[in-house]
Amino acid sequence: MSSPGRQRKMAEINNNQIEFPIGPQHPSLDEPGCFDITLEGEKVVNAVVGVGYNHRGLEKTCESRTYVQDLYIIERVCGICSHAHSSAFCMGIEELSGVQIPPRAEYIRVIIAELERLHSHLLWLGVACHEVGFDTMFMFTWRNREKVLDILATMGGNRVNYGVNTIGGVRRDLDPASIDMLQKTLDTLEKEIKYYANLAKTETTLISRLAGVGKLSKEDVLKYGAVGPVARASGVRDDIRVIEPYGAYKEIPVHMITDDHADVFGRTVVRILEMQESINIIRFCIQNIPDGPIAVKVPRRIPAGEVIIRVEAPRGEDIHYIRSNGTDIPDRVRVRAPTEANWHGMTHMLTGEYLADVPITIAAIDPCYSCTDRAIRVSSGRDVEVMDWRTLRRYGIDFYRKKGIDLSTLAVGR
Amino acid sequence: MNREEEIVSRLCGAFPFLTDRICVRQKNRIFTDPITREEFEQIIPFVHDQLGFYRACHVVGTDDGDSIGLLYIFSDQDSILLALRESVPKSDPQAKSICNLYPSIILHEREIIDLFGVMVKGLPNGPHYPLPDGWPEGNYPMRKDWDPKKFNKQTMKYEQSGEAKENG
Repeated sequence: MSSPGRQRKMAEINNNQIEFPIGPQHPSLDEPGCFDITLEGEKVVNAVVGVGYNHRGLEKTCESRTYVQDLYIIERVCGICSHAHSSAFCMGIEELSGVQIPPRAEYIRVIIAELERLHSHLLWLGVACHEVGFDTMFMFTWRNREKVLDILATMGGNRVNYGVNTIGGVRRDLDPASIDMLQKTLDTLEKEIKYYANLAKTETTLISRLAGVGKLSKEDVLKYGAVGPVARASGVRDDIRVIEPYGAYKEIPVHMITDDHADVFGRTVVRILEMQESINIIRFCIQNIPDGPIAVKVPRRIPAGEVIIRVEAPRGEDIHYIRSNGTDIPDRVRVRAPTEANWHGMTHMLTGEYLADVPITIAAIDPCYSCTDRAIRVSSGRDVEVMDWRTLRRYGIDFYRKKGIDLSTLAVGR
Repeated sequence: MNREEEIVSRLCGAFPFLTDRICVRQKNRIFTDPITREEFEQIIPFVHDQLGFYRACHVVGTDDGDSIGLLYIFSDQDSILLALRESVPKSDPQAKSICNLYPSIILHEREIIDLFGVMVKGLPNGPHYPLPDGWPEGNYPMRKDWDPKKFNKQTMKYEQSGEAKENG
């Protein structure tokens, strides 16, 4: 099997054109992807996208484990949209089993999903600002993202991979203290997001850096099958929460955000405005969440059948295909994450751009990063110790000191 | 008649061989039974040009025993997904790419080549996806008879008998 995209020369010069690879490890990329860029002067004349460096065989793994075990694998497809993946997987199994989950569970799933969208968009906004040299904004947005992660950690027990979903509902209920914390954080975030929205529309340096970059017209979105904020920023009405409402979204008013700039600036505006919309949705959920149980029992053996489920992850349409064979192990699980759909338009977006705009153009589709989970449970032998933040930090410093590295002199405030 | 029934009716009208082989299996989801490569190639231009399924979301490979199923999933601008299942025999696993009409399918069809060993013809030149360089010929990991325990990650060889010693 040939592999022209990976076994290549470092750089090649032909007819005033320079061909060179960016990646798979590169300072401007946050995950292993390889882009073979052909340059003429400062302009990109061709780009070949090479991905697949992070393939972990999760679908094959799912075929040898039970549905419940698979839920934890599926949640780890992505650190950022973990809840979207586990929701789609659970919805698929619930549909195959003919199970209707309690309304309260549907609302809790939506609250977590919208918090996930908030933290994903805040993370993206920070990365995008970092890529264009606006590091102050990067610091601001990531500071705000910490607040969202704190809520998710409180409600789900973890900063990412919250483990809230289970087959038949959710594992954790909302308590009054969490709701109170959530409301206070939303009030703070709303002010910040309004500031960001105003900044994005008025800060001339940011606008001139983003406007006209990474163009993908409405026709090209339809041609290359782009999804999520990339599609909506080109005026395509593509939001699964609106066009095919699922779960509690059937009852919740969702205003689809679209824009007509069809460039990185448009994608920025869409994501910022979607954060405000997420806050509105969460507030609606808090006010209207029904009482009752949070889960129902689902038989271990799932009736034979096949199902296609799609949900709106923070990055766009997430499709899960599940085929069951009547046992407690699936016959086939296939995940089509939104980033997979957004790669196809990348060559078109990069061609004609300046080299300096390549990193932000790639970042603008929000390619899927691995977000490192910060563990709070440390197991040594049989003893399991739950640590708070300060103790965890002390543990880390001691761990490295034993290896001869002293980090204790670094001032880290919190 | 709702939209799903209308699509099924139009497809059956244009392609009588689909009668009794196409159904609405869940809300907004239209599935076909396995169809041959020739039948699939006839349907695709109609689906693209006449029915308005502008996007090929996905192609799911399935190991169906003696054959490989290729479940092509198309979406329109509403909420309907159309899943056409092409079936190719394992003895001669060949398919033709639909990337001339749907450029968004390229990555997924490359995956079918690597993971299921179906030779999809008509794809543009480009890097294979997603298996690593040096992956041994004839190893298609998503086929049911391929056992990951028999694959030696150190030597990159598939041990036909027994379990690989170095399984990292």
